[in-house]
Amino acid sequence: MSNDAIKTLAILNAKAPFTNSAGKDALDIALIFGSFEQPVSLFFQGDGVWQLMQGQDGSLVSIKDYLKTFAAFEFYDIENIYVCQISLAERNLSAKFHIEEVQVLNQQSFAQKLTSHHTVLRF
Amino acid sequence: MATLHIVRQSAFNTSDFSQCLHVLGNEDVIVFIDDGCYNLQHSSINNIDGNTLFSNKSIQLKVIAQHAKARAVAINEATIDKITMDDLVSLTFENDRVITWQ
Repeated sequence: MSNDAIKTLAILNAKAPFTNSAGKDALDIALIFGSFEQPVSLFFQGDGVWQLMQGQDGSLVSIKDYLKTFAAFEFYDIENIYVCQISLAERNLSAKFHIEEVQVLNQQSFAQKLTSHHTVLRF
Repeated sequence: MATLHIVRQSAFNTSDFSQCLHVLGNEDVIVFIDDGCYNLQHSSINNIDGNTLFSNKSIQLKVIAQHAKARAVAINEATIDKITMDDLVSLTFENDRVITWQ
């Protein structure tokens, strides 16, 4: 990781999807970076893992469902999507996500991947 | 390749600090700021000193002295460095990356 290399961005999602705008803000930043072909990786930890669960419907609680936009990640070349395995286990969740190409990582791998990026933004 | 972790929330209220501990690297620096100062009283901080998981790591713990004093949080100076906001600015340059847990 030299200074000459292209800077990489990690976006760490740690909030559940519908209580505030953190998840939507993180999504907007990810898509902006993707639009400009900047390397961006998404990480989901803590309550952030709820953003990836199947079968959610924000319209039932009067929230525009930004989670459907996650399906667009591949068009923006966002292919590095990582989930903390411990966070899933703590919430008794199985690895059934509403998008594909999600990688579940154990604590050590998750930490290594996250800190291999130049910049980390946490939402 | 060290990471500076800026912890701004109390572990008594959120799991931010616990999530921080999950991604801690060998040479990392943790700075407690704002309500993060309350973590000095939280049992999870002992994980860093005593726990075998962390025993092979050399984690530096620091706290903004003014923020801890304002909250009447006692600082064990044997394990925690007291720093100022100016020191925090320097730390952002000395480390490879910053993660703010807020």
